[in-house]
Amino acid sequence: MTVLTTRQDRQSSIRFLTALTVFLALLLALPHSTPVFAALFPVLDRPLYQQQSFASLVLAHLELVGAATLMATTVGVGAGVYVTRPQGREFRRLIETLSAMGQTFPPVAVLALSVPVIGFGFWPAFIALALYGVLPIAENTVSGLEGVDRAATEAAEGIGMTRGQRLLQIELPLAAPVILAGIRTSVTINIGTAAIASTVGAVSLGSPIIIGLNGNNTAYILQGALLVSGLAIVVDMGFDVLSRRFGRWKVR
Amino acid sequence: MIEFHQISKKFGENTVVRDLNLTVTRGEFCVLIGSSGSGKSTILKMINRLVEHDTGEIRFAGEEIRTFPPEVLRRRIGYAIQSVGLFPHWTVEANIATVPRLLGWAPDRIDARIAELLHLLNLDAARYRKAFPHQLSGGQQQRVGVARALAADPDVLLMDEPFGALDPITRDSLQSEMTRIHAETGKTIVFVTHDMDEALRLASRVVILDKGHIVQAASPRDLLNAPANDFVREFLGKDDYGLKLLSVETVAKRMRRSIEADGEGSVLPEDNLRLALSRMVALKTDRIAVCNALGARTGTLFLADVVT
Repeated sequence: MTVLTTRQDRQSSIRFLTALTVFLALLLALPHSTPVFAALFPVLDRPLYQQQSFASLVLAHLELVGAATLMATTVGVGAGVYVTRPQGREFRRLIETLSAMGQTFPPVAVLALSVPVIGFGFWPAFIALALYGVLPIAENTVSGLEGVDRAATEAAEGIGMTRGQRLLQIELPLAAPVILAGIRTSVTINIGTAAIASTVGAVSLGSPIIIGLNGNNTAYILQGALLVSGLAIVVDMGFDVLSRRFGRWKVR
Repeated sequence: MIEFHQISKKFGENTVVRDLNLTVTRGEFCVLIGSSGSGKSTILKMINRLVEHDTGEIRFAGEEIRTFPPEVLRRRIGYAIQSVGLFPHWTVEANIATVPRLLGWAPDRIDARIAELLHLLNLDAARYRKAFPHQLSGGQQQRVGVARALAADPDVLLMDEPFGALDPITRDSLQSEMTRIHAETGKTIVFVTHDMDEALRLASRVVILDKGHIVQAASPRDLLNAPANDFVREFLGKDDYGLKLLSVETVAKRMRRSIEADGEGSVLPEDNLRLALSRMVALKTDRIAVCNALGARTGTLFLADVVT
């Protein structure tokens, strides 16, 4: 496999590691940055968010996004696989319609709608994120599986692979780059949405932003926003490394 | 090895195979030929149950094929197709190892088998073992496809227009390989094509199909010498029928033992007469030396003997 590691692959890994280092440095430096924010925002009494540590906010944020993505991936890939099997083919249109409808629906609206049903806290945020995250994953799973070279599946069947073997050894690995792109979209959207989830009481990097908005504390907003965007960039670069690994067999 | 008894198959209202009876014996190189819609591919795919027959009975090694689970049956039958269908995310060796792996062979046995097959298909192991399919030319890909089909030493090899998408030079060399592999391994081969020259070159028996039934099944020579009807004659080609006749006869049959030809150019005793004629025309001569593989002259071929 090593023969196909190109210079772009290495550069992608280096970019990811650099971004990760910068982000971690930022995370370590922030708790000690009171003088900086005091100088930037002289009118504020408390220029540094201290209700929770930034590290715990990052962890809570990742936990929320991670759990929702895990759920969304399970359901999305499962649905995508099901509707491309002979027995599930009739549900394919349904998935496509739902998916198209879902994309027009802003994630904030999903959050707002889930509160009256579930109440405040982690769970409404989890459900909103998971629901919203399913759509790009299901959609990409379907198009990824549909895009698998017919010749390969025909040969796989002809030489004696069972349906399960065909799915696990041929179809899913070949569709993996496209499915991964769906997960990437889903995660990127959800890192942003998870910040808004603090409005429904979930702890995340959105907490300093929401509290800052309520208390007119621009420094809090800036601190939250810095970390959310930093996290989004690091995770996205991580996906770039991952997708190169999955697509290594492809024609370059 | 494979017996079809009164096989019929319909796709909807369309009957594609009608009351087919055909026996492919062990070691035979059986080529099914016909125009599109003749049912040749359907017949091939019924053998490994990619297409299920409606009525009748197909026996493989003496047993009705429906008594095997499809996967078990398919792992005993090699399968190569026109679009090759190598798994693009696997290396050449992983592709070849597919069926042995499914059958649970030990890793060192698989390893030895891969080496053996790369050698059989004239692929340089050092260069190609770890290569990915997209790094190979079309001809090399089909060599790997054939190696994969042969990997688990199947009883039968099914080939569905395997060389149809290749350029003439590559096709020609793979056809020679197939003749050699058939001779070396003694496999029973069922091969589908629409190219009569390919059929005559490879087959021990040609089965000509039209609208789902057999028009004639005979050895290439019998087919050319006694076509059953106009359809077969048409299929054999009008303009180059004579050349086809020459293509199934060897030089050895018509050569004289005397050594009379001089000048450049020679043919091998096992070359076909079509090639010999072509060479004579190119050299503008009416006689050509026959040399054995070592280069020693063994006789002479005269134009007059070719055409009589």
